[in-house]
Parts: sequence; structure tokens; C-alpha cells
Amino acid sequence: MAREVAGGKVHVVPAGGGPDGTLGTDGGRIAAAISDADSGAGVLVLADIGSAVLSVRAVVENGDAGGPDVALADAPLVEGAVAAAVAASIGADLAGVRAAAEEAWDVRKL
Amino acid sequence: MSASSELRRTLVLPAGVDLHARPAGALVRTAASYEAGVAVSAGDRRADAKSILQVLSLGATGGSAIELSASGPDASAALDAIAELLDSFG
Repeated sequence: MAREVAGGKVHVVPAGGGPDGTLGTDGGRIAAAISDADSGAGVLVLADIGSAVLSVRAVVENGDAGGPDVALADAPLVEGAVAAAVAASIGADLAGVRAAAEEAWDVRKL
Repeated sequence: MSASSELRRTLVLPAGVDLHARPAGALVRTAASYEAGVAVSAGDRRADAKSILQVLSLGATGGSAIELSASGPDASAALDAIAELLDSFG
């Protein structure tokens, strides 16, 4: 959905699930997704709850994803992903994309 | 034209074109390509046309009226572009 709303121009890479496909997260999968998503301007990561935030932090702190600038958004997953994808599609930088995602806290759904 | 003057235009969304997902994203990307500040209102709700989440929260449905307002140096061009975009969905 985030890709669709953003006009298909943004790399959105899902990285959920544990190593064996079960509930959870997998640092290797997260690191690979960050590398895949990078197109030179940095990568914003959105996490849901549970181990996701911890796993992303570990990957970023260990530098497991290699070169790209990486930021973790403090934002609701779905709303943040849509807002971030649209911001990225109109050329916002990493800080701007992160800010767009975090604006999700201020927009009521109903 | 002074930068503080505000242009307004009322448009009707084409039938069957709800302002969600792809149309909303296209509207936001169009609005964002102009310097002018652009707002879109539907019913009693008003959204920054450059914020996808605000535009989605309008819940504007096909066939309903929306009001655009824009202010800034290229406000008129921004409204023209958005009107043309919405027409193209019809």
C-alpha cells in the first residue's frame, strides 16, 4: 500500500518474521532489507512492536546493514510507512521522510 | 498578487474516485511540487494537501465536493494542476 500511494517510485521492503518464518524478527533479514531498500539517500526503518525495535537497533548499532544512512522512525507502522513513502517520492531527505512518518501521531483516523 | 492572498476553488470528485490510496497520493505529490501552501477541505474537515495522512483522513468520496485553497507565488498553477489531476481520474 505504501508503494502504491507513493506512485511506485519508492523502494519499500518488508522484513517481518523470524528466521524460520514464524512470528518474530531476524537481524539478517532486516539488514538485507535495509541494503535492498537503499538507493543512495538513506533508509528509514519502521518497526511494529515486540522484538522489532530491539532487532532494528541492534542491526543499526552493529553496522550490519553496511553503508546506507539508517534512521528508525518512532511512528505507527502502517500510517508511518505510507507517510514516509509519499515524502520519499517527492524528494524529501532522510530527516524529512522520518518527520513525515512521525507526523502520524498527530493525525486522527476518525 | 501578494503572497498572502488566498485562492479558492471548489471541485467535485469524479464519481467512483474516492480520495484514498492512489488518488490521494497523486494529489499530495502534485501539491508538494508547488511552493504554494495548499489546503483541501471536505465537509467540516480541512487537510494540508501536502500531508498524505491528513488527506486520507478527510474520507472524501467520489461525487462529493472538495474545496481547495492555495496561497503563495504559484498558487494558481497549483490549483490548476490539482484540478487537472482529479479530472484525469474521472
